[in-house]
Amino acid sequence: MRFRLPLALLAGSAVLIAGCGSSGETAASGKATISYAIWDKNDQASAEKIIAAFQQANPNVTVKLEITPWDQYWTKLQTAASGGSAPDVFWMNSLNVRMYAKGGIIAPVDESKAQGLPAAVVDGYRYDGKLYGLPHTVSIPALWYDKKLFDAAGVAYPTADWTWDDVKAAAKKLTDPSKEQFGILAHMWDQGAFYPTMIQAGGNVLSADGKKSGFDDPASIQGLEFWTSMIEEKVAPIAEVYADTDVITLFQSGKYGMFYGGAWLAATFWANPEVRDRIDVAPLPKGPAKEAVILLGLANAVSAKSEHPKESAAFAEFVASEPAQKILADAGGGALSLRDGTQEGWYKAFPSFHLKETYDASMPHGVPYPVSLNTAQWQDVQNKLLAEAWAGKRPVAEAAKEIATQMNEILAKE
Amino acid sequence: MSKPRTWPAHVFLAAGALVMLAPFAWQLIVALQTLTDSLRVPPKFTPSWQWSNFVDVFRSVPLARQFVNTAVVTAAVTAGQLLLCSLAAFAFARLRFPLRGILFMAFLAVLMVPGELFLIPRYEIMQGLGWLNTLQALIAPGVFGAFGTFMLRQFFLSLPKELDEAAAIDGANPLQIYWHILLPLVRPGLLALGMLTVMWSWSSLLWPLVVNTDPEMMTLSAGLASLRGQFLTNYPILFAGSVVASLPVIVLFVVMQRQLIAGIAFTGSKG
Amino acid sequence: MHTRREWAWGYLLIAPMALGLAVFYLWPIVQTLFLSFTESGVFGGYTWVGTANFTDLSVDEEMYGALGNTLLYAVLVLAGVPLSIVVAALLNVPGLRGLSLYRTLYFLPVVTMPAAVGLTWSYLFNGDFGVINHLLGYLGIDGPYWLGDPDFAIYAIAVVGIWSSIGYNAVLFLAGLQGIPRHYYEAAEIDGAGRLRQFLRITLPLLTPTTFFVLVITMINALQVFDLVYLMVDPKSPSLEGSRTIVYLFYEKGFVQNQRGLAAAIAVVLLGIILALTAIQFRLQKKWVHYE
Repeated sequence: MRFRLPLALLAGSAVLIAGCGSSGETAASGKATISYAIWDKNDQASAEKIIAAFQQANPNVTVKLEITPWDQYWTKLQTAASGGSAPDVFWMNSLNVRMYAKGGIIAPVDESKAQGLPAAVVDGYRYDGKLYGLPHTVSIPALWYDKKLFDAAGVAYPTADWTWDDVKAAAKKLTDPSKEQFGILAHMWDQGAFYPTMIQAGGNVLSADGKKSGFDDPASIQGLEFWTSMIEEKVAPIAEVYADTDVITLFQSGKYGMFYGGAWLAATFWANPEVRDRIDVAPLPKGPAKEAVILLGLANAVSAKSEHPKESAAFAEFVASEPAQKILADAGGGALSLRDGTQEGWYKAFPSFHLKETYDASMPHGVPYPVSLNTAQWQDVQNKLLAEAWAGKRPVAEAAKEIATQMNEILAKE
Repeated sequence: MSKPRTWPAHVFLAAGALVMLAPFAWQLIVALQTLTDSLRVPPKFTPSWQWSNFVDVFRSVPLARQFVNTAVVTAAVTAGQLLLCSLAAFAFARLRFPLRGILFMAFLAVLMVPGELFLIPRYEIMQGLGWLNTLQALIAPGVFGAFGTFMLRQFFLSLPKELDEAAAIDGANPLQIYWHILLPLVRPGLLALGMLTVMWSWSSLLWPLVVNTDPEMMTLSAGLASLRGQFLTNYPILFAGSVVASLPVIVLFVVMQRQLIAGIAFTGSKG
Repeated sequence: MHTRREWAWGYLLIAPMALGLAVFYLWPIVQTLFLSFTESGVFGGYTWVGTANFTDLSVDEEMYGALGNTLLYAVLVLAGVPLSIVVAALLNVPGLRGLSLYRTLYFLPVVTMPAAVGLTWSYLFNGDFGVINHLLGYLGIDGPYWLGDPDFAIYAIAVVGIWSSIGYNAVLFLAGLQGIPRHYYEAAEIDGAGRLRQFLRITLPLLTPTTFFVLVITMINALQVFDLVYLMVDPKSPSLEGSRTIVYLFYEKGFVQNQRGLAAAIAVVLLGIILALTAIQFRLQKKWVHYE
């Protein structure tokens, strides 16, 4: 420990000196440089445009963009936060926000700036009664389908009125073992696939007060069985297939009729001229009990230790404002702007996809993504046990009940 | 003595060589296919001349920058290893000083320890120095190596003692003896160690992955890993990146294989 | 030369290397041992927890899984070592033409970065689109989802491990073979021993020191496998259960989940395993290694 202490002291005093230096500078010249960390390379272009617009309105502030790939993003952020050098503003998701809020790493933001943003997304960023991030994007899961396979099988394209039964019927007709062609992909995906079906069947993942698991609810189990039954009936490939090849890649091979995938994949699919014209998108089908779409949004969080808290907050607020949202949409990248009425430009970037219809039908049924304090811990349990059910090694009901038991133990400790 | 026939050996060796070579050929072909072609059943064994994969890969990750990073790190590490290892090796082989044996054993002890044991503290050293996401973080630990010291010591030991003695009588100090007289004579050892170091340094993954998370500061190995994170199983693009990343060392090896093989044979004979 | 001056020169010349080794090797060993008895906070800081990390590991399913996978991988790769002896013996056939061409080809996988090798083979092993299952199809075998199935993943990775080390080991064996004096064979030939008999009675026994060295090195490397697993198995794949190795677990704990103390403990356990297995190998060598 002898070695670390002096270093930490040195680093600490360096920060202090730097802090004094730059705040003095701010007072004198009014200039500030803030850092902005994101993880998605696909959003670099739009982020740069938003920064340019912000800098034009605030000539005294310079925003430096840092992109770190997802695989390293959280490790890097955690390390930086431990050293007191987190970026001034950074992307946050609802899975991690509580840990960062609890650790005092991020500062609360002005509630009023979130006005007009969908509650299903905003509520994911609340901790202890305060808001810890200003959301700016929304990710909507949707039903992608291969028109070419639908045409060949003589099945009508999915619509906003589709139900589970329509999906199952279509999957059956689209399956053709002689061509190794399957009706649907049944990958084990929480946000867009099995969480929504659990809720659509009338069950839940986590009780409203966040204290009890919903996995042992018979309706939830029915929602899980929607997926495993399609694997059993051989209208969807077996579990190992998705572990071997990514579903996004699989769907582009043209041998799978339907695919529950994010609307944000529009950019990826559009970029592949071989699939662009043969696929389209529809909202998630309705379940036996209700309609439900789990919405996840990314937010910008502001470091609690920022040397320029005012400027940093102003930037985070700007990204969530209408003008910035329009810039984001017009860039036609992967991310979809969150503020209602700003999406026109995004739809236009992918004219043949029915994205507007998907958005309009999904937003009214938005449900927040279920999180508690130790979400990652019970999701780990959930993923391990469900993997066994998906692989057919264990009945779904049994696995679900086991998840509920273990999950309740974890929740009880929170 | 009867001359044995060699054709049976050729049959087996050629079959084995095919297994060795085929994955490379296949990688090159797929690097030039479209995504759809790479997903055909049965596989399509011809390229579709999709050169844009190479453009895409350079656009999606700073591959050119990572290429330069890797080259700079490899060059610096190799140069540093050769200099520092040969200095220490010379001292251990040709000079007498108290505790020489114990110090040398301490050097060798390091070889017994798996590299993972060094990672976390090294990471914290780099963090303390503010060196995370810098090239020096990749270079600094790499220039020190017990193996190189051991290897070059064997080469120095094989040279006749009279060389130093004659030079010492002429008034040369040890540094001059090292540089002017002995170093040129251990050239084969230096080349072998150099090739080994280039190979290891170019390919190493875990340390670069951990210490440099900014794509602009990554090496090619870590860059390929993050490319996989981005493109998942879009193999044509991944392979375009792989070809670019692994080609330089393959070319270097074809040119310098004699030295590398000598280095590896050495590790076997004296280890 | 004055003795004192020679001493000074000696220390001066080893100083840079000694300093570097102390900072980047010896100090980290001490530090890791220390850290293995601590727990790291989410945002920095350490608390002393005694042997808690080790007791946690001793009941951790993931740790045993990783241990099992790593040992299985090591056994599989060790079982591939005879292939290198065969290659080396073939390369050593007197009068063989094209030796250096063969050597180059067998060596290509060794000089290719493991990250690229891993990516290439993950495609070859793909259950639906992979060439390997396509070829197996000709033999009437319906190949599994090698890397997607926890029961098969480590075997597929071991194949790649063997493939990429054949050239390296063959070079070592070839050097060993060339060190065997010719007169042994000449004597055997006079006695009328066939080539196979010569190989079994002369070559293999005299090659045992090299074989021993290769086995030790191969084992130590195999116990530390990371690159191939990291590139061949998706971090979210269920088949990671069947392919996660000790170093992979170390990486996950230390640099993904930021549990540095626990990761340090894993590294210490790995050190113990390597030392123990190496010691056993050295013990056993007396029984089968022939030194001239």
